[in-house]
Amino acid sequence: MKTNFLKLTLLALVVFTASCSNDDDNADNETIPAVQTVKATNISARDGFTKFSFSENKVVTTDKWDIAFSGTTIIVNGGGKFNPENAEEPERTGQGAISIVSNAFTAVTTFPEATTFKQDAATAYAIPTGSGNGWYSYNMNSHLITPIAGKVFVVKTHDGKYAKFEIVSYYKDAPATPDPLNSEATKYYTFNYAYQANSTTTF
Amino acid sequence: MKLRITPLMSLFFCSAAFGQMKDSIAVDEILAEVVVTGTRTERVLSSLPLPMTIITSEAIVKSGLTRLSEILNEQTGIILIPDESGFEGIQMQGLDAAYTMIMIDGVPLVGRTAGVLDLSRVSVGNIERIEIVKGASSALYGSEAMGGVINVITKRPQKDLFSGSLSYRYATFNSNDANANLLWKKKKFAANVFVNYNSSDGYDFDKSTWLKNIEKYHNTTIQPKLYYDFSENLKLIVSNRFYNQKIDNKAVIETKQYQGDATEKEWNSQIKLEHKWNSYWYSEYELYATNYKNNAFLNDENSVLFEESYYNQWLLRPEVRTTFSINENKLTTGIGFNHETLDRTYFDSNVVFNSQYVFVQYDYNPTEKLNILAGFRYDNHSVYASQLSPKLAANYKITADFSLKASVGYGYKAPDFRQLYFDFMNPSVGYTVLGYNVAESRLKELEEQGQIAERTSGINFSEPLKAESAINFNFGTFYKKNKFRLDVNAFYNSISNLIDTQVVALKSNGQNVFSYTNISEIFTYGLEYNSTYNFSKDFTVSLGYQYLIAKDKSVVDDFDSYKFVRPPGSGTIAISKSDYFGLFNRSKHTANVKFLYRIPRMKTDINLRVFYRSKYGMFDTNGNQVMDKYDQFVKGYFLTNLSISKQIKDKFMLQAGANNVFDFTNPDQINNLAGRQIFARIQYNF
Repeated sequence: MKTNFLKLTLLALVVFTASCSNDDDNADNETIPAVQTVKATNISARDGFTKFSFSENKVVTTDKWDIAFSGTTIIVNGGGKFNPENAEEPERTGQGAISIVSNAFTAVTTFPEATTFKQDAATAYAIPTGSGNGWYSYNMNSHLITPIAGKVFVVKTHDGKYAKFEIVSYYKDAPATPDPLNSEATKYYTFNYAYQANSTTTF
Repeated sequence: MKLRITPLMSLFFCSAAFGQMKDSIAVDEILAEVVVTGTRTERVLSSLPLPMTIITSEAIVKSGLTRLSEILNEQTGIILIPDESGFEGIQMQGLDAAYTMIMIDGVPLVGRTAGVLDLSRVSVGNIERIEIVKGASSALYGSEAMGGVINVITKRPQKDLFSGSLSYRYATFNSNDANANLLWKKKKFAANVFVNYNSSDGYDFDKSTWLKNIEKYHNTTIQPKLYYDFSENLKLIVSNRFYNQKIDNKAVIETKQYQGDATEKEWNSQIKLEHKWNSYWYSEYELYATNYKNNAFLNDENSVLFEESYYNQWLLRPEVRTTFSINENKLTTGIGFNHETLDRTYFDSNVVFNSQYVFVQYDYNPTEKLNILAGFRYDNHSVYASQLSPKLAANYKITADFSLKASVGYGYKAPDFRQLYFDFMNPSVGYTVLGYNVAESRLKELEEQGQIAERTSGINFSEPLKAESAINFNFGTFYKKNKFRLDVNAFYNSISNLIDTQVVALKSNGQNVFSYTNISEIFTYGLEYNSTYNFSKDFTVSLGYQYLIAKDKSVVDDFDSYKFVRPPGSGTIAISKSDYFGLFNRSKHTANVKFLYRIPRMKTDINLRVFYRSKYGMFDTNGNQVMDKYDQFVKGYFLTNLSISKQIKDKFMLQAGANNVFDFTNPDQINNLAGRQIFARIQYNF
């Protein structure tokens, strides 16, 4: 028993040391695997708030959500409720926040400064609402809601990781020429996102 | 760069070539033309320091056109286009239809839809000439004349006579246009009665849908004018115009069909006394009243009333103008009062505007070669801030046939009734539009009713909505040699406090509440070129061209906010500032060529006009909210209109022709371009 324990301890020590030295040796040229850009399609924002988790890559109903959609409003799992009286609006249980960056999606490779991240609050959402203020513009003549190009949202997730996303369409199946008057096909989000699972400061 | 220069260069080359030839007839006649709109006094066109165009009755008759909208669309620098909401109006110097005042015999028409006046309301059957002044003209005409003035001048019997004409025109789409015009004068009495009937089945690009592009309509215009000369120095004019239109009203709301009528009724009445005190003093006393009414209804499939709307606008305007003349110099002053009311659906109550105004203009000729026009107008208004609109213009004759002219002026357009008092909810989509002055109280009401999810932060209505204002510069030249005539004018307009909609609240149904705000500054600049050359007394060719740049100042100043685009099917890319194309619905190049050929022995006139409009965009298609060169454009296009007129003896004229000869249409992108319309007309003069 004793020798076994000793052997195991030694083995553990060797493995530990090896892994440590391995880390040390490769710290400069180690590459964290490039984040994958994923397209989420037809996320419905038609009924209450639809909660989405970047790490799970799907719509969730738990508290482990990162962002949620309701109509044109997008909320983050951090801060407080905008409208405390709205029972549909989920409580913020995470440490999420959002920073808005103007750039091409692929060009956003480093995390923005911590001071640029905002959480939802009773005074304002982290992503401002209204045409031209946040992620979309609304054409009063065609009634079309169009995502503003170059609006990239860097999200601090509910558990402190980072993701970035850009909205591509507000209409079902993201058609090239949506029909805004077909109410059955509106409020379906298509967006690109990339999730950084590692502890780093870049995508 | 090459593209910009080439068309211009070629035009100048043409002009240089034309300049070599000799003799002239028609050109001189146009030059001596007396106009009134630029100064409110009679002036010879060629010495006027303002950019101005005249359309003569002869040109109107030979074109074979019937409505004011069609005639204006054929002029250089003027284009008849549907706006983003589909209302058709004229764009002049790159400015929207809302900024041009439209007048008949010197008094304005009212009854605009979303700022746009429907110019097909005006028949051209009794027009003596149309005068078009481009550039800010608020110094004489106040609000609405920010971009220019179009004045339709009707025929007036000048000597003892009894004459008239009857005409009937039939065209594609079962379009009918019948005119009767009677001119009579005997000593002190004179009269002019004009009657027009106009109808059409409308047209339809997509026969599979129930709605047409233009529904079936018919309208009638009756325009009696009476003149009585108390003496050579005191003349009375009483003029009336009645217009009545009925058009099929149809709508599809959530796949259900609704049907009804829309009627328009317009009445204009002008009483004017022209009083010549002596050789120095001349006065005009004018009382003008006009009423424009629009009533529409829709019934459902069971003929049960579904929706009704009405619009009832009045304008009452007494004005006195006095001109004091010494030698060639004239001091003109005017004083007047506007009483305007509007009662319509989507207004809480009948709203009233009152304003008093005074204007002064000095038309001064310090030397034989130099003419200076200086003036201002002051408007005191019951609802919005008072406006002072100055103007200064000068014309310098280098020779009798070559002159330079320059003008600078201030123009403004007051917030209209709709921008202040609208209270509208779209039944099919569910959004709400509120006028600025009623927005705060209506938002509170909607909040109490639980209809508001969230008000946009930072928006309040404590400061009054400002008038839109413009500074306008024109610099031009006029040149004539033998058979050749040339007019070139460079223009610049800078418009501040442009009123546009913005989202002021989010409704609980997910839609927006809009109101109006002074949102942006735009500028337009460009060059207008017009030339005419008489190859012989029977063959004239004219060329017209406008180069136009129209941009939003905030986009130019802060392009970084607009530099990312997402072309269809690709990722987001950054574009450069030089890729910014400019405002929606503006073409850089518009041009026309007109051929007028007369075969004397056959008494036949052939009148061929070709028009070009270069590419433009109607809305952003790649996510940066503005038009850039990567957006989808409406392609440039040509239109050709032809008319052939033949005199038979002295009394009859036969005419045939076609508008849009080559049947150009673009149903997906241009909804006001009907296909080829063939017409035939017979006219009897007596």
